Amino acid sequence: MSVSLTTAGPSPLLLSVPVAVGYVPLGAVFGFLFVQAGGPWWLAIASSIWVYAGASQFMMIPMLSAGLSVGSIALATLVVNLRHVFYGLSLLHALPQHPIARAYMVFGLTDETYSVLTTLPPETSTAQRVWLTLINQLWWVSGTAIGALLGSQAQTQLAGLDFALVALFAVLVVEQWRARSSPKPLWVALAAYPVAWLVAPQQALLLSIALSVGAAIMLDWISHER
Amino acid sequence: MSDEAYIALVILAMGVVTFGIRATPFLTGRWLQKHPQVTRLGRFLPLSIMVLLTLHSVLDISGSWDGRLWPEILALGVVIAMQWWQRKALLSIGLGTALYLLLRNGI
Repeated sequence: MSVSLTTAGPSPLLLSVPVAVGYVPLGAVFGFLFVQAGGPWWLAIASSIWVYAGASQFMMIPMLSAGLSVGSIALATLVVNLRHVFYGLSLLHALPQHPIARAYMVFGLTDETYSVLTTLPPETSTAQRVWLTLINQLWWVSGTAIGALLGSQAQTQLAGLDFALVALFAVLVVEQWRARSSPKPLWVALAAYPVAWLVAPQQALLLSIALSVGAAIMLDWISHER
Repeated sequence: MSDEAYIALVILAMGVVTFGIRATPFLTGRWLQKHPQVTRLGRFLPLSIMVLLTLHSVLDISGSWDGRLWPEILALGVVIAMQWWQRKALLSIGLGTALYLLLRNGI
């Protein structure tokens, strides 16, 4: 992408185009599946405004359908988004001074926004970084709105369309696999799920997440404490 | 999934948790640097979680039909293979879902 070398720096709108290509359709898939699962369209949009975290928003659909408690879903969100803890570490210097702009940029640190922000040239102004963060979220919210409205218009429910959710998780598995530093997380999960399913089939997801967290802590302790 | 108050409460809680995680390094950067195991967990867990979500949702879908797993396994294989070679998320999701719709609706 050609970026202007004037003092104005790259246009945030231009920088957000690659993010839009992913966010609008994926947001639409989220909105559509949320509504098809029985959720009201305006809450699909509300979750894209207030939560704004792709993977955990998709995760909430089966969890809401299963009627899990608010605490369980909050805990699962914590585990899924834990990786975001270290995003901020590399952006400590890049935040604006204004408290609202500062808080908003911290709020908007999704995987995609993080990866765009960390590859910006150093002369990029903080105002441009804030705009970029905001425009990225606008793409996500617009996609959600489109999907939610389509989903609530669809009269006949096409059987098997919820496979899109499985496909999305599988895509994330492949991408996480690419970024892995060890294959252990895969083996841990493949072992945890059958165990959890045998013990408590109704709570298999939550129990297997808990088992995986326990195994991760144990494996980490074994390889680092000695 | 139609209880609006319940869904709204879940969304509220998820937003607070997500913002809390994203804000943590700005509030406790030094504490985090002294506890590298948190960062290592943050690197370890996402792959496990995505595998668990895939397994859980695929069994969920299969269970809502006849419980035979072959259409799910076939469609899942297409998604994984497409993502591995082409790395285009929407293409992988689109092709896998289209194949699954064909298999399930018996066209």
